[in-house]
Amino acid sequence: MSAPFTVPKCSVCGHLAYPPRILCPECGANDWTRTLADSGIVTEVTVRRPVFKRRQLPWGNWLDQEAVRLAAVHAEVGERSVRIIARVPEGVETGDRVTLVAQASTAIALPGQVVEAAPERASAAPAPAAPEPAATPESE
Amino acid sequence: MVGFGEMVERERVTTAPAPVIVGAGSAVYERHPGVERRTETFIAEAVVAALADAGIHKNEVDGLGIASFSLAPDHAIDLTWKLGMTVRWVMEDSNGGASAINMLQHAVRAIEAGDAETIVLAAGDRMEKREFHLMTDRYNRVARDYLAPLPLNGPNALFAFLTERYGRLHGLEREDFGCIPLAQRAWAGRNPAAVYRRAMTLAEYMESVPIAPPLTRFDCVPIVSGGDAIVVTTPERAARLKGPHAGVRAIRALHNHDQQEGDGIHSGFAQFRDDLWAAAGARPEDLDSAHIYDDYPVMVLVQLADLGVIPDDDVKRYLHKTILEEMWPVNTSGGQLSAGQAGASGGMHGLAEAVQQLRGTAGERQVPDAELALATGYGMVLYTHGACHNAAVLERRGG
Repeated sequence: MSAPFTVPKCSVCGHLAYPPRILCPECGANDWTRTLADSGIVTEVTVRRPVFKRRQLPWGNWLDQEAVRLAAVHAEVGERSVRIIARVPEGVETGDRVTLVAQASTAIALPGQVVEAAPERASAAPAPAAPEPAATPESE
Repeated sequence: MVGFGEMVERERVTTAPAPVIVGAGSAVYERHPGVERRTETFIAEAVVAALADAGIHKNEVDGLGIASFSLAPDHAIDLTWKLGMTVRWVMEDSNGGASAINMLQHAVRAIEAGDAETIVLAAGDRMEKREFHLMTDRYNRVARDYLAPLPLNGPNALFAFLTERYGRLHGLEREDFGCIPLAQRAWAGRNPAAVYRRAMTLAEYMESVPIAPPLTRFDCVPIVSGGDAIVVTTPERAARLKGPHAGVRAIRALHNHDQQEGDGIHSGFAQFRDDLWAAAGARPEDLDSAHIYDDYPVMVLVQLADLGVIPDDDVKRYLHKTILEEMWPVNTSGGQLSAGQAGASGGMHGLAEAVQQLRGTAGERQVPDAELALATGYGMVLYTHGACHNAAVLERRGG
């Protein structure tokens, strides 16, 4: 379940704020629209090993933990930019231009979102009916 | 309009606050405590130890401040009751690694204003797998909704990014960052309370298990259960107690300086550095020891540099020469990297150690003639990096 990645944009001054804030840090307004922020540059990548091999979910059952590839991404919207923490597939490295895709969380049913960053070439092709999903820990 | 990052110019208070820290104590840090040892157990042991160090009976305490991630559903008032205290001043602090100095900032003013005379500030957590995941996944709404589902699994990956970024900026490799865990492990060898005391070699550090590259196991704090506490009182009462004590020269803080829109390695410390040293009437080179919040080696460097402690911003030289070769006293307990991070107690750990150095009670790791110490607090990752920054300059008084 993925969608184009958008970020909140202040309707008054154009400031970008992700994750969402209440008042605009720049002008203090509380009036937001959303703007597409689907392109960015990877500034750092890591492969995060679990702190504990298994973990207990809040409702009690235990889940095996796996490594996950994560990146800091500098998303660019016109002349403004915003820093995003995203999950990336194997092969994405620092300096790569990536396409950002929003995913509703499937691992834990919560209202937030996971940002996936796919290599740019995946989106450069004509839009496929069912885009190749980025590698996720669930599918490993 | 005042943009963020700019500070409104305020009248600066340069008189040193009078209240004095007269005792410090800790619960024994443990990796895997028995089920009967709860968060309140660790906090209570630290309070008892700090009061014993100060020579103060619990009935003389009229203020209590508590910081903990796992005390719920109890609060500071429950501990007030369970410790048999009656207080005129009570607070609970939720600012993690910055909670101890934040509480000290409040306590100093409360004592100056006469709201309380003798305040105990304590922090502690029972921190096992379950508590750790509850803490990290529900750290705030953004962690719960935007980071935990990645799954982020605690802040290691975020600080891997900051380490990479800082290393790129200053030309540092892993063996440079390693000077901090190596030196702190050497200090921990002199601290019977540290969980990791065995000497570590550079080869061991370089070959250690990757956690979130470039971070390895020895760049991440061991998760432990424990507690730390200090006792703050008036100079008049301090004069009747066995010294020396730790006087508070200055405290400065800045929170959310960059709205999480900066790079995380240009910290809020830089913005209050000049004000802090002016208020303390001291310079960084006057310090005898520094107790820097060490969740990760990179943050020790960011804080030392932004507070002006690293001469000429020559980070590489400072790491190899000052910290590792000369063993200039940074985090003399071994810090959280070797002594362990006991949840919110991480913020109190360095402050309690600074007090011990100034009181001359640091045992084998005692810094000779310790007269001036710096303690810092840092923490509360809102999305990409910590938002809370505070620092205290303490001096030896009396004795």
